Amino acid sequence: MNKKKLVLSAMAVLATVSLAACSSKSSSKSSSSSNNGASLKLSSAYKNTKATDKTADNNSTLKVAEANDSPFQGISDTVLATNAEDSDVFSPGGGDSLFNVDKNYKIIDGGLANQRINRKAKTVTIKLRSNAKWSNGMDVTAKDIEYAYEVVANKNTTSQQYSSDFNAIKGMAAYHAGTAKTISGITYPDGQKGNTAVIHLTKITPSMKFAGNSFIWSTVEPYEYIKNVPIAKLASSTQVRKDPIFTGPYKLDKVVEGESTTWSTNKYYYGKTPQIKHININVVSTNNIVKAIQSKKYDFTISSLGGTSYKQLKNVKGYAKAGQPALAYSYFGFNVGHFDTKTNKNVMDKNSKMANKNLRQAMMYALNVDQVYKKFGNGITWRANTLVPPVFQKYWDSSAKGFPLNVKKAEKLLDEAGYKKRNGSKWRSDPNGKKLVIHFGAMTGNSTSAAEYQDYLQQWHKVGLDVQFTGGKTMEMNSFYSTLQAPKQSKIDIYAAAWSTSSEPTPTQLYGVTAPYNMGHFVSKKNTQLMAEMNNSKSFNDKYRTKIFKEWQEYMNDQAAVAPLSFSYNWYPVNHRVKGYDVSPANTEFWSSLSLTSSKLQ
Amino acid sequence: MWKTILRRVMIMVPEVIILSILVFLLAKAMPGDPFTGSINPKADPAQIKHLMAINGLNDPWYQQYWNWVVHLFHGNLGNSYQYQEPVTRLIAGRAGNTLWLAFFSMILTYALALPMGVFAGRHEGKLPDVVIRFYTYVTYCIPFFVILVLGIWIFGYVLGWFPTTGSVSSDAQGWVQTVGSHFYHILLPGILGALFSTVNIVQYLRSEVIDAKHSDYVRTARSKGVPSKDIYRHHIFRNSLLPIAAFAGYSITGLLNGSIFTETVFSYPGMGLLFVNSISYRDYTVITALVLIFGLLNLLGTLLSDIILSIVDPRIRIE
Repeated sequence: MNKKKLVLSAMAVLATVSLAACSSKSSSKSSSSSNNGASLKLSSAYKNTKATDKTADNNSTLKVAEANDSPFQGISDTVLATNAEDSDVFSPGGGDSLFNVDKNYKIIDGGLANQRINRKAKTVTIKLRSNAKWSNGMDVTAKDIEYAYEVVANKNTTSQQYSSDFNAIKGMAAYHAGTAKTISGITYPDGQKGNTAVIHLTKITPSMKFAGNSFIWSTVEPYEYIKNVPIAKLASSTQVRKDPIFTGPYKLDKVVEGESTTWSTNKYYYGKTPQIKHININVVSTNNIVKAIQSKKYDFTISSLGGTSYKQLKNVKGYAKAGQPALAYSYFGFNVGHFDTKTNKNVMDKNSKMANKNLRQAMMYALNVDQVYKKFGNGITWRANTLVPPVFQKYWDSSAKGFPLNVKKAEKLLDEAGYKKRNGSKWRSDPNGKKLVIHFGAMTGNSTSAAEYQDYLQQWHKVGLDVQFTGGKTMEMNSFYSTLQAPKQSKIDIYAAAWSTSSEPTPTQLYGVTAPYNMGHFVSKKNTQLMAEMNNSKSFNDKYRTKIFKEWQEYMNDQAAVAPLSFSYNWYPVNHRVKGYDVSPANTEFWSSLSLTSSKLQ
Repeated sequence: MWKTILRRVMIMVPEVIILSILVFLLAKAMPGDPFTGSINPKADPAQIKHLMAINGLNDPWYQQYWNWVVHLFHGNLGNSYQYQEPVTRLIAGRAGNTLWLAFFSMILTYALALPMGVFAGRHEGKLPDVVIRFYTYVTYCIPFFVILVLGIWIFGYVLGWFPTTGSVSSDAQGWVQTVGSHFYHILLPGILGALFSTVNIVQYLRSEVIDAKHSDYVRTARSKGVPSKDIYRHHIFRNSLLPIAAFAGYSITGLLNGSIFTETVFSYPGMGLLFVNSISYRDYTVITALVLIFGLLNLLGTLLSDIILSIVDPRIRIE
């Protein structure tokens, strides 16, 4: 399995705002390679200035690779899909996304629909553009906007996207429970066949201004096309698997189950006319992807390649490299409490082994993460300084120090807190003089991650802390998470894991009091307050919200209950014959902007 | 004859039941569940719990097992959690690919191994024999996946003679092109599979031929003045085929096992790759269905071997 770390994918988000996003503002192109803390600078765009040669024939085919070890599932519907592979191979269809975004993932006008938030009336109005059509010529209607919510929330749905935040939409909870047949909080001022849907909510938050928030769903469903399929059977229907329709620049010609998709231009597309006539997307095993690029089989990969591939491909002839910081970070978590299943709240335990802040900070300062990533990161992965990845240029605190190597400070912190070596032992004991053994939970990955973990253990041993792998070795992913997700556990004291974030970075779902994914159970008044402030009414002011996000990052670094470990690039090799390539989220015409300068790969 | 077969089939029934219970329990005993792997930070764990509940994953194992058996007799193997479609449809889509490849590979293996075995036996101790033995041992020693990776690298990428991924080209239009493309895709893995799995057959056949060469009926034939060519064709070859024929049933299951490597390296969507993926994703319904199918094929393979054996060798029929 290629999930080295369980990078929990924020599907809705990936599909909405990554390569899939499509709309008509080619002027909003921004190819920033601004500061992100990495030593390697990758631009989100490949600026190909080459003249189109005589052999160039836009009737030719763009060849795209999806590097993945398993065949894709083939669920083209964004609400039902559970893997990034599916959203990748169906992305020329546009992912049926409603909104355009800017480089900060803020929703802007110009997409399939525009969004207006009315704070007083507590409504969100979504108005479709007049020429919004499906790839079979059908109109996109207000009902299509609403039907997405039905597929998300239906009692028998196979979708995993429903969250309690949706209960803020009036009537949604009743529909989800199966007691109401329709969602009363979604209305159509000019009828179901009209182009406006109004969503009535019990509260309005600043996060609603951003794509990927957990209140407003940002894709449409072709109601007329799929209305006869029961929602429970939608994922296995031909309308979703074999003959899906889309709203983006390309329409699907053929899907070979699990292997490839073939596309041609969609004449009903409202936005920029695509320049390349055909697109093929093929699944390529991750074992072979480097060879495939070296032998020039593909124009680019649609899935990001890792650091090892970067090392092997950075000098490959005929390819440029483009990339941008990933919507993800890896981190160290400390187990400082438990989840109370009666109250459904995380509770911090003051007497837990890792409750001492000094101990946690010291463990972080003892590590030489910079050196580790210098050796193994290949420039693609680097030491993280906060819990907000730099892809959020506005919110990421570039001045935060994080935890650079400082053994002296680590030792001082431990001494101060009373973690001393007693009776000639080579290990430090806890302040009460009891033996201290810390259990490190880490997931089994490749040989590189094994070396990283060994280095961490070595560094901890250096400052006198007896840290051992939980169970004496690294853990298989599934058992790692089942151990960690138990309401109360004492097998893992510190763990290394990763999150991929939504394009709206509010961290409440991960670190909130009631968040079940708060697996280290760190809870404090200040933390709760800061996270609440990110989405209170004052935070409609962007400056204020930015300030709160930075305060939160500083606070979390000080507490070190969850400590940042690494950031990374999503990077892609791009063949020299490709023109107009730009993976910035603000490039909402990714597919339509591409053209080829030659009929053959270079 | 029919009695023998019937008896064997009767024995298979409890075997299958025990196998299915074991498979079912082992799959459930793995840590994790089908949904934890794909949760995202925004997905409510309540929804995950809800999905677990409507899929009956919280019921006690015997109840889950019973539901599964009842469905099984209705031809329903459940829904794949990962692929969100009926397991029967999923497997049916993949089985064709695996069988194509396995069948092609098997025919090629026999086409290569039979002449080599006879030839080596006939020229025992001489140069051709040494060369063939050397070849079989070398191929036997190299792990199969190494050959696959080397093969795809040299013939797929460096020379570019063969496709390197999938089971069919996305450009293929129409019936002829589609079948042609399918065949083109199994060519390289099939040939590699055949070239590197001849050792058993060659060695068996060689030693049988050598034995037969020194047997009385061959000496008789020789003394009658039967030409050497005919002796080999009619007397030695036929008798030496006995163990090979018996082996055929088993070799079907062996090929299916090999498919796990081949399909992973070639990103070839068949049952082997599906099996590997379903384990990583804890796709219980697919795991149990596949193990059951592999198990059944194993039992059928053994049965087939016994039947073939009793046809070609009347001595071992049990009445």
